[in-house]
Amino acid sequence: MFNYNFRWNQALDSLPQMLEGALVTIEIAVLSMVIGISIAMVLTLFRLSGNRVLSAITTTWVEIARNTPALFQIYMVHFGLGGFGIHLSPYMSLLIGIAFNNAGYLTENFRGALKAIPDTQTRSARSLGMTPIQAFQHVVMPQMLRISFLPMTNQMVWAILMTSLGAVVAMNTDLYGVTSDLNARTFRTFELFAIAAVIFYLLTKAITLSARLLAARLFRY
Amino acid sequence: MKPSIFIAGLVAASAAAMPVLADKLDDIIASGTLRCAVVLDFPPMGSRDADNNPIGFDVDYCSDLAAALGVTPEVVETTFPERIPALMSGRVDVAVASTSDTLERAKTVGFSIPYYAFENAVVANEGVEMANWEGMKGKTVGATAGTYEAIWLEGKVKEWGEGEFRPYQNQADVFLALSQGQLDATVSTVEVAEANVASGNFPGIKIVDKAPMVPDYVALITLREEYGLINYMDLFINQQVRTGRYAELYKKWVGEGVPADLTIPGVYR
Repeated sequence: MFNYNFRWNQALDSLPQMLEGALVTIEIAVLSMVIGISIAMVLTLFRLSGNRVLSAITTTWVEIARNTPALFQIYMVHFGLGGFGIHLSPYMSLLIGIAFNNAGYLTENFRGALKAIPDTQTRSARSLGMTPIQAFQHVVMPQMLRISFLPMTNQMVWAILMTSLGAVVAMNTDLYGVTSDLNARTFRTFELFAIAAVIFYLLTKAITLSARLLAARLFRY
Repeated sequence: MKPSIFIAGLVAASAAAMPVLADKLDDIIASGTLRCAVVLDFPPMGSRDADNNPIGFDVDYCSDLAAALGVTPEVVETTFPERIPALMSGRVDVAVASTSDTLERAKTVGFSIPYYAFENAVVANEGVEMANWEGMKGKTVGATAGTYEAIWLEGKVKEWGEGEFRPYQNQADVFLALSQGQLDATVSTVEVAEANVASGNFPGIKIVDKAPMVPDYVALITLREEYGLINYMDLFINQQVRTGRYAELYKKWVGEGVPADLTIPGVYR
């Protein structure tokens, strides 16, 4: 039996603090995506380069990012590096942890997108006199980014939700951190977490909807 | 309808309604099991032995309460933040989990009288210059999220207007961060501080000073409206002290010395 009397007013008083936390959450998610996409581009080029060492770096990164829990990745950034005397603030640990995860997944997205672009396109571009780099830059890459646009928004949603893992590295200014602080103080667990869940839901919904609108405008022929 | 049938019906209806009046105390006795939320990351109050069995002051305290009720104890491991959800969702009947009796929390859950009192110590990384508790000013400090000492320490950092406060998920992470030098200092109960320094698991830490806090009085908790159970727990705690069991458990888990006084002169609870 669920034995709880909901008392909303106390929890709703905390709403401004939680919305401030949501801003930090968005900030981390956006920054981690920017860093993640940049790294994923580099990792994709490493993979395409045909150089063994470079593609081994890409493979290792992708394998770790995709096959270990994000919680563990963030924890290792903070306490793993901490063991070697490299001390990152909770904010940086969380940001780097999520960016690491993003880069791994996005690299795989890019690989999938590249597979969908027929080889003949590169060859046609080359036959027009483009260098390999020009062919990639002008013909392949725009299509790759276009195909992987929606998977990228999925990753953005995932990045938003991953910010809640910052609790393991003592992060207390993001939406989840603020909420659990308030919870420890007042024990109004279910009201506070319900409000946080609604904010998370609205954030992610806003992202998927605006991404869909953006895609409709960007990719119109 | 004949009046006699009507009356018989009323009697039957009220008899059927009777069990609804049974409270949590009755439910526990009837079920034969007392389920206690205990934090097992908080030696010497709660931890696990080499065979992974729950041990500690709080575990024994749960067993004593179960014995008094004539039922079997069942320890349900929770973290500090999980205590209340475990209670509210009916996974446990009471929490024997060093819960500080703040007025803010008493709006949500029902507290017994205090069953233990903690004093707090300032523990620092050996590489940090710190003569006393005021040395924490401007430093990076941390504690276990949601604990009495964390709330105090965060308040101090805000009051000082410099330094940084970090709330970790559990005691082990706090001491790991302190040992690595990610934190300059922490505040934890004297019991935990001494146990962690002695364990050798966290090299490079030292106890600096007592923290100037009102002792952290902790109480048993259950649902706010379970007056019957709260009354029973109050008397049980009184009996534990009266019979010398409190002192006995203190000696067993904390060490030599006199356990903290659970009463405050000059006030009624």
